Amino acid sequence: MAAPSLSRALSAAVIGVGGLLWLSAILFMAQTAQNSEQFSRLHPWILMINVAGLVVLVALLGTKLTQLVRDWRGHVIGSRLKARMVWIFGVLATLPILLVYFFAVQFLNKGIDSWFNLEIRKSLDDALVLSRSALETRMREHLTDTQLVADELMIGGGPMPGLLESLRRQVGAIELVVAAESGRVITVSKGLSAEVVPDEVPGEVLLQLRQGRPFVSLEPQPEGGYLVRTAVPLGEPTPGSERLVLQAVYPVAERLGALADTVQAAYQQFGEKDYLRRPLKASFILTLTVVLLLSLLAAWYGAIFTAQKLVQPIQDLVKGTRAVAEGDLDTRLPLTSHDEMGFLVHSFNDMTKRLRRAREDQLRAQQAAETERANLAVILARLSTGVVSLEPDLAVRTANRAAGAILGEDLESSVGRRFDELGQGDGLLQQFVEACRARIAAGDVEWREQLAFQSGAGRRVIMCACTPLPGEGEAPGGYVLVFDEITGMLQAQREAAWGEVARRLAHEIKNPLTPIRLSAERMRLKLMPSMNEKDAQLLDRGTETIVQQVEAMKEMVNAFSEYARAPRFEMQSLNPNKLVTEVTDLYRAQVAGRGLSLTVSLDPALTALVADQGRLRQLLHNLLTNAVEALEGQPAGEIRVATHLGSHDGAEVAEITVEDNGPGFQRDLLGQVFDPYVTTKARGTGLGLAIVRKIIEEHGGYVEADNRAGGGAWVRIGLPLTETTRSQAARREPRRPEARRERA
Amino acid sequence: MSNSHHLTRREMPQLLRAGALLLLCFLATAAPEAGAATRAEVRSAALTLDTTEDVYDLSAKVDLSLPDDARKGIEAGLTLRLAYQIELYRVRRYMPDAAVAELEQVNELSYHALSQRYLVRNLNTGEQQDFGSLQAALEALGDLRGLPVIDADLVEKGPEYQARLRAIIDLSTTPDALKWLLFWSDDWSATSDWYSWPLRP
Repeated sequence: MAAPSLSRALSAAVIGVGGLLWLSAILFMAQTAQNSEQFSRLHPWILMINVAGLVVLVALLGTKLTQLVRDWRGHVIGSRLKARMVWIFGVLATLPILLVYFFAVQFLNKGIDSWFNLEIRKSLDDALVLSRSALETRMREHLTDTQLVADELMIGGGPMPGLLESLRRQVGAIELVVAAESGRVITVSKGLSAEVVPDEVPGEVLLQLRQGRPFVSLEPQPEGGYLVRTAVPLGEPTPGSERLVLQAVYPVAERLGALADTVQAAYQQFGEKDYLRRPLKASFILTLTVVLLLSLLAAWYGAIFTAQKLVQPIQDLVKGTRAVAEGDLDTRLPLTSHDEMGFLVHSFNDMTKRLRRAREDQLRAQQAAETERANLAVILARLSTGVVSLEPDLAVRTANRAAGAILGEDLESSVGRRFDELGQGDGLLQQFVEACRARIAAGDVEWREQLAFQSGAGRRVIMCACTPLPGEGEAPGGYVLVFDEITGMLQAQREAAWGEVARRLAHEIKNPLTPIRLSAERMRLKLMPSMNEKDAQLLDRGTETIVQQVEAMKEMVNAFSEYARAPRFEMQSLNPNKLVTEVTDLYRAQVAGRGLSLTVSLDPALTALVADQGRLRQLLHNLLTNAVEALEGQPAGEIRVATHLGSHDGAEVAEITVEDNGPGFQRDLLGQVFDPYVTTKARGTGLGLAIVRKIIEEHGGYVEADNRAGGGAWVRIGLPLTETTRSQAARREPRRPEARRERA
Repeated sequence: MSNSHHLTRREMPQLLRAGALLLLCFLATAAPEAGAATRAEVRSAALTLDTTEDVYDLSAKVDLSLPDDARKGIEAGLTLRLAYQIELYRVRRYMPDAAVAELEQVNELSYHALSQRYLVRNLNTGEQQDFGSLQAALEALGDLRGLPVIDADLVEKGPEYQARLRAIIDLSTTPDALKWLLFWSDDWSATSDWYSWPLRP
């Protein structure tokens, strides 16, 4: 975060300093045309700075333009808009600059040329000529004076100092020098103002005199003003002696000198500037060109910069919109300005923020729903009650394991299939589905009913409740079927009721039986001797019948009493094969007497079983008695007893099967053969198989009964081998309804 | 119309020149080296002891030549500036030589149009001479005589001394502000090589 802001500040500082430097350089450059010495020294440097600025700008502009072209070719978002803006801004800036440049160049050329027009040049030349002619007149006069002085000196007999002095005063010279032609000074006459004049004759003067020409010249003085130097030969040359020369220096009138100086200075300055006209123009045009180029480049750079600034938020917006479209709701655009664009950016940020919040809420709700669903799934899975939810079109939405377990099919894998297409044939599932479907189809969507079905193994009672799920509008959003098998519960209730009946019977009926019998016997004993034979026989038969029936009744009451008796277990380890052998041996004589056969097949692997031996013995007695009674009057009756070490629910069990080839169970009573007082025999309490099942339940085992395919019936009991497996089975029992499913 | 056309046509080479100068500006910055025609060369130089004044005087002959452009410039009113740089060192073996005397003698040569004479002015002394021709003025400038350089007392007997002299020519304008223009228009400046000779007092 700090790095970009630092670099931004740095570049701003560089641009600021560079801009200031450039601006001051331009100002300095403009100033160089004016009078100031330092600018002439600074001028090249100023130009260099400007040129350096130019180079930097060209480089910057080149970079920016290259970037722009690359963006354009790469179809970068906003590059086209940026290029158009740059083009428009650039052209708008360029046109006036070029126009101004064109006119400025023309103006410069014309202006500078007009400074040095021919009239001025000519008038200056004329002024110079005029001044020179004025001075030349003086010079000629002074030369004439000098010649006169020379003549006077010759007439006066030579260069006498006194004569020289008087002649000097006479002609108004400031110095008269008589010298030999070699330059040797012979005599000098000086005025007061002539101290500065060196009293010698310059070689140039002597040279000209030697050539026979008088010398006259105008000599500008270092501190202004002029002197006129004249020289003439003094007399004719004589052989043997050196020829003399006379040099006279005259002052030029101060006013004339000053005027001449002015003309000279103006002439010189004009000449100088005229001479420098071309470089002056070149320099001005160069300055102008540099400034123009700088301005142009700066304008273009500014155009790119401005376009960039304007397009940036749009680019950001487009990028942001794309990011949002791709699902990135964390996108935040930088707020660069507080204008309409800034407002747009702010709105965009606000929108993404709201969107994100909405998505988070939705996510949270979804998570909550998921959690709820998971919890529900766990609860449903743990429920022993079957729960099936259906779509409005009766497709299975969910089904728990218990549902499958109750209906004997794996319903969890049927999710998505239609409920009314589940199950085949006349199985339990099919009957259940049909019952539910019929009710729902009839418009009965909320009901609770006890449904009884006939399965292959017997009668099954299922308590089922249907509730519609809330949906949109009137139509239900589906249905929930909650059901549980209550066959076992009904059985238990029935058993409890029978137990109660048996206990009451035992109590209410058994008690009067003994007095009835005793009364009958006493009646016979007392009355028989006093009766005639006929009556005595009648009494005897009557009392005999009473005693017999009371006895039978007593047996029945005892049997009921036995059924209702609370179990008192004496669990011990025993060999089931041995037990079976012992019990069957008791029946061998009886069986043989009735012309029946008894086959025992024992599984040698079955060696030990923990059980109540007495109860087990009773169980076997009941089963064998049932078989024997069933085979009464049956030719070639056969009883088979078999033991087998089997497994049930993953635990080892001892299975004992008793089969006969008698008439078998009545089909309609098959589901109730283990209920008390259900019998198909003429004689019998109907408690035999009920007691069998009671004993089996007390041992935590199971019992099944069915008809054989080839006639006859079979009953199979299964007993857990050890106490441990029995307790496990007992614990599992409530969770595993199918384990209770005796096929009795 | 024709005038503007004329002007435009005249501008073109100026624009080109401006561009060219711009380029030149990249390549050659200030102080261009010896020009094609302007030349200054020290022919001879000697320090002689003036026994009356007890001063070492410099006498030298320097060849100065100017191109026609420069001559025209001078006639137009520019001023030629000629500087003599004189340096005297005591030669030392293990250390840099010690400067004993360093002086610069500056002269200006200009044309006085009114009197049609060339003025040579010594800026150090303020003396002024005038000549009828440029050549005479240049010769006078190149003929250095009796220029006192150093007091004889300052020059010890024993150590070896090395003297050197060079001449620098450039042009200037009367108002100095215009001098920068010469930066563009001349290659008239010239600097002679150092002319060195030993001095054994």
